[in-house]
Parts: sequence; C-alpha cells; structure tokens
Amino acid sequence: MAIELWQTCLGYLQEEFPSQQFNTWIRPLKAESGGDRQLRLLAPNRFVMDWVSDKYLQRIRELLAEVGGDRVTEVVLEVRTGAASSARRPARTPQRARPASTSPARTSAPRAPSRVERVQPSADQLRQASEPVQPDMLMKESGASAKKKERQADVEGGIRHQTHLNNLFTFETFVQGKSNQLALAAAQQVAENPGSSYNPLFIYGGVGLGKTHLMHAVGAAMLERNPNAKIVYLHSERFVADMVKALQLNAINDFKRYYRTVDALLIDDIQFFAGKDRSQEEFFHTFNALLEGGQQMILTCDRYPKEISGLEDRLKSRFGWGLTVAVEPPELETRVAILMKKAEEARVRLPHDAAFFIAQKIRSNVRELEGALKRVIANAHFTGSRITTEFIRESLKDLLALQDKLVSIDNIQRVVAEYYKIKVADLHSKRRSRSVARPRQVAMALSKELTNHSLPEIGNAFGGRDHTTVLHACRKVAELRETDTDIREDYKNLLRLLSS
Amino acid sequence: MTDTVTKAHPHQLALSVGLRDDATLSNFYPGDNALAVVAVRAAAEGGDEHFVFVWGPSGSGGTHLLQAACHAAAAVGRQSLYLPLDQVVAYGPQVLEGLESLELVCLDHLHAVAGDADWEEGLFHLFNRLRDAGCALLVAADAPPRRLRIRLPDLASRLSWGLVFQLHGLDDAGKVQALQLRAHARGIQLSEEAALYILHRSPRQMSALFALLERLDSASLSAKRRVTIPFIKETLGW
Repeated sequence: MAIELWQTCLGYLQEEFPSQQFNTWIRPLKAESGGDRQLRLLAPNRFVMDWVSDKYLQRIRELLAEVGGDRVTEVVLEVRTGAASSARRPARTPQRARPASTSPARTSAPRAPSRVERVQPSADQLRQASEPVQPDMLMKESGASAKKKERQADVEGGIRHQTHLNNLFTFETFVQGKSNQLALAAAQQVAENPGSSYNPLFIYGGVGLGKTHLMHAVGAAMLERNPNAKIVYLHSERFVADMVKALQLNAINDFKRYYRTVDALLIDDIQFFAGKDRSQEEFFHTFNALLEGGQQMILTCDRYPKEISGLEDRLKSRFGWGLTVAVEPPELETRVAILMKKAEEARVRLPHDAAFFIAQKIRSNVRELEGALKRVIANAHFTGSRITTEFIRESLKDLLALQDKLVSIDNIQRVVAEYYKIKVADLHSKRRSRSVARPRQVAMALSKELTNHSLPEIGNAFGGRDHTTVLHACRKVAELRETDTDIREDYKNLLRLLSS
Repeated sequence: MTDTVTKAHPHQLALSVGLRDDATLSNFYPGDNALAVVAVRAAAEGGDEHFVFVWGPSGSGGTHLLQAACHAAAAVGRQSLYLPLDQVVAYGPQVLEGLESLELVCLDHLHAVAGDADWEEGLFHLFNRLRDAGCALLVAADAPPRRLRIRLPDLASRLSWGLVFQLHGLDDAGKVQALQLRAHARGIQLSEEAALYILHRSPRQMSALFALLERLDSASLSAKRRVTIPFIKETLGW
C-alpha cells in the first residue's frame, strides 16, 4: 500500500519539480513498506539523504498525507545499505563471480557533506553497531532487493568469505604475448602451487594491461582445483573502507579474523594504500600473518614497489620477498590477437587485416583497444554492415583524428626534444654530435613507426635529409633497442607518451 | 538520521498546470547522433554494454540524453540518478558514495572535476564499484576521454573502455526539425515557416530555442491561440 502511494506521490513530484532536480534527488530514492503505516525511503548515500531531508521531505510528507490520508503516517528517510538487486546483473554474470558491491563502509563513512551539520548515525548504522562485523559481509539488505548469493566459503567461527572473482577473467581468456609471458607463467605457477612457489606474487605495470585479469585467473584456477578454497579478491579501496568501518564499530578483531582466515588474498591496485598509514599498518600485519601461515597473496600495482611514494619502507621491502613481475604494453601481434579474441567473444566476424588496422592505430592499452572495437561492433550492428578496414576507418574517425594529431611528425619532434631536453631546431639542424644525433634517430624511427609518412617525407621534415638517412636511423634504433637498455627504455617511454 | 512524520495534514492538493516538457529519448531529435541514442537507451534499459560516454560542446545534447536515460530506466523499473558534477563539485567526491546501489548512474559535465585529484580517485573507485555491481554508467563531457586532462591514468583508461560517441550539433535544418518535434510533443502545431522564423531571430542554442517554445506554449494556452508567425511576433515582441 505504502509503495503504491509512493508511486502516486512520485507522479506529483515529477510534475512539481524541474526534471533535473527530480532526476538527481527523487529518482534515486528507493521506497519500501516499513510495516505499520510506515514508508521507508532509502537514499543511495548520506549526501542525497541530507539534501532530500532539507529540500523535499516536507513536501513528500504533505503529498503522502494528501493522497493517502492516514494510510501512511510515518516516513523514514535513511541511507540504503544493500547491494543492488540481482535482477539487473548482466545475463552473462557467472554464478560465482561478479561481486555484489555492498558498500557499507562507504555509505556509513564518517565524512559528512560539508554543508550538513547534523550528523547522526542512521538507523542502519545503529543496527549494525550492535552486530558483530565481518568485513564486506553481513550487511543488512534493505528489504526486497535481496543480495545475490555468491560463492561463499564457510570457515570456523562462521565467517563466510566472498570471492568477488569475475569468471570472465580466466587463463583461457587471457591473450599471451611477449609483453606478458613472464607474468602469465608466474601466475600459472602460483595457481598450481599456491602459498609455496611465489609468495607474494607482485604484478605491476601500466593501466589496462591485464594485471587484474591475471589475478582473477589465478583465483579461478585455484577454485577449480579446490572448490572449497577461501579466496578473496578485493580492491585496495575496499580493504581501507572495511577497516574504517571496523574501527568505527569497534570490530577490528572481526576484521582481522576475516582477512587472516583466507587461503588466498588478492588485492588490486595497492598504490592506493599510499598515504593511508593506519590501513598500511593493518595490511602489514595481515600480510605477515598470511605469509607465515603459507596463505597465498597476490598484489597488483601500477609501478615497481620501490617507486610507490607514501608507502612504508617495511611494506615495500616485503612486497619483494616473493616474485615481482611486470606486464608491458602489448606489442602489435598481441594487440591483433586480443582484438580477434574479443570479436570472437562478441560473436562478430573481424577480418585479420581489419584487426591489424585497429591494432596499428591504438597502442596505448587494452581498454582503449576494447573500447574502439566495441564502437566498431555497435556501428556494424546499427547499420547492418560488414566490418572492413574502410568501415573501421569511418566508424572510428573521431578517435583516429585525435590519434593522428597526437602522432604527427611535428608532435613526435616536440615530444622527443622535450624528453631529451634539446631544442626542436636541433633535430632539424646539421649538427652530428651524439647528444643531438641519437634523439634525431629515435624521432625518425618513431615517425616511421607511428605515422604513415614515407621515408622521403620523414627525411624532409628533419631538415631536408635523404630517405637513406631515415632508413639508417630506423635500423640503428632497432639494433640499439636490442643491445642498449637506455635506448630501449627511452623508446618505450616515448611510445607511451605519444600513444596515451 | 531518521526523519519521522507522525501526523499527516491533509490539505488541498496543488493542481499541476503547465505541460511537462521533460527531456526524453523520444523528444530528442537525433540528427547525426542516432547511434548514440540507441546506445544510451540500451544502457539505460539494462543492455549488455554498461558504459557509454558521450561528448560534445555545451548544447550538443549530452544533458538531454542523460536525463532522458533516467526516464527510460524508470519506464522499465530501474532505479537511476542524474548527477551534474559541475553543480556538486564543491561537496567533494563523497557525493559518489553508495551509487552502486542504483541500476543506472548518469554523470554530467565530467570535465568539471577533471584534474582534481580527490574527484578523480573518487570517480575511479566509483567506476570499479559500478562495474563490479553490474550497474550501468552514462557519462557526458565536453571532450573525449583522452582530451579531458585526467591525471589519474587508471581513470583515464577506464573512460576509454566503454562506447564513446561524439555528439554532433544540429545544423539549421536539424534545429527546425528538433523545434517541431518538441512542439509536437507539447501538442503545438508549429509550421516549418514558424520554426524558421524563431530560429532566425532567437539565440541559436537549443536550450534558448526550447525556452522560447515554452514561453510560446504558455502564452498560446492562455490566449487560446495557435502558434503562428503573427502570434510569435506579438508574444516575443519581435
């Protein structure tokens, strides 16, 4: 009854308030019947709740009274604490994998919106405070949207662990290449001998290169071998949030017990621990306990452990106790293979030369590659066209125009000059000293690799040099990249600067 | 915090007058953006692709599409929220907390928070939580992901992950059609000549044109007259 009244009330509110206000503040409210003539309105967070309370609650009460008389006599406004309903999950969501994001710590975090002075615990917070806390678990679902049952493992003391593993990320769906083969081999080793081969396994590298995929793949393989294994994947943010909540609710021992009774703990993006001293300390103890217990840890990070600023030295050194492996940006062949695999997963026919075209143009990371392919597929479905190189050129013209701007010879010269701290004019000049000649050769090689200009055109752009000079530069740089680590590193950095 | 109403005061229900002219997908004149509209609708209604990013200069329709997506989501029983980041930037990224409990989140004016470290990290975490929860995300900004000057590479790469569409503004013929479509949705018969007449004299942003339409609508209602060129002249003092 209360819900029906709310629906009617919504109609009036929609009429009364500008649509932007309605979409921002009223639409996200979830209504539940709260028992005896009570209506509970659940806001996604404290900010929305306070805003609604301030600006709209009075009107809501009036409207309810007007349309419902005394059928609803009480309106309760509070922060919603549950995960989303399972209904909206994608069909391909695996039975065990997709994490249902309950985010209790976030909704009940102590940081209140700055404009609101009144901060009192919500009913849910108070209820939670009287219950033992198991991080990320035991959150009361607000009413009807029952939390999706995920794979959970019971352990002594009744803690149930949620894996949060995404079963789309397995070794089978991982595309191997030169850039990631070491990390893949290490991950496979760990999956076969968890806790004993490499502990912790520390995977680092740039964004969108498959670190998270590998980590999930290890978890999935471990679960396949031992379906009762207690494997927990989480993002570092969640670890921090859980800890904050446990501290708030005086339940830090439950928190510790939860994380120390896993068989494998997989934490993503640990660079976000930087500057969070209390979390680092707690993580340090968890880390030691797991290592001593022979439980596997896998960590990912966007950089080499020693380079993370704001992280305690004792943590950095411990990260190096196991095996540290890098994932590099995928080379052309791997990018083609990734595209072919993604197209196959989407059941789309992608000719090899078309995949090659995309892979040549987009080199920064796998996410961007995937985004571009999605766009092509969407266009193809929409227009009913076959995917050809020409079709791709048309579909991605906005993206490619940006790309072309980024990788013009002018821009390459500018970026290279800046990188080596020389002037662009030096690249055009006749000077042959090593400090200028080497950067010039690198810039020529990059122009050859990244643009479609001919050798004579490139030579021309470098102070009217002959095309054989460009050819020589390209060969020389290719050779140096094999033998000279500095040049290899420079070239890699420049490629990244120019393609992301 | 719990707010409780213990007494109800019945009084006269305010009658809703003016015709609603909410942004919906059906009153969005697509022009060259038909595919973006299809993708936005699919994401709003729970399709496979969960993340759509649209970009274009102010007035190219991003705000309309995002608000319309909330309508479309509600029509299939999905809970949504529209958040204009330019208006909440001062409150900090805690505004984003808990949004994964919804089914569709629409973030407008993303450029307003680009370059702000706290906001970028907040958005990054939100992105991960939405993805984990299977929640759809629509983003509108004035530039494509790569041009947004996002400093956090983790966020920048995620913004390129979805379906990205440039929104193309309408040419004059498109604007006339859009005006007529919007007029039709309000129950006004607006001839092409009358639409052209407005277009040639008014500021040319769509929001300004629609605002004029709204004025004409209420004037014609109270005068009980059709919206013709003489009526437009008279009402708008042109």
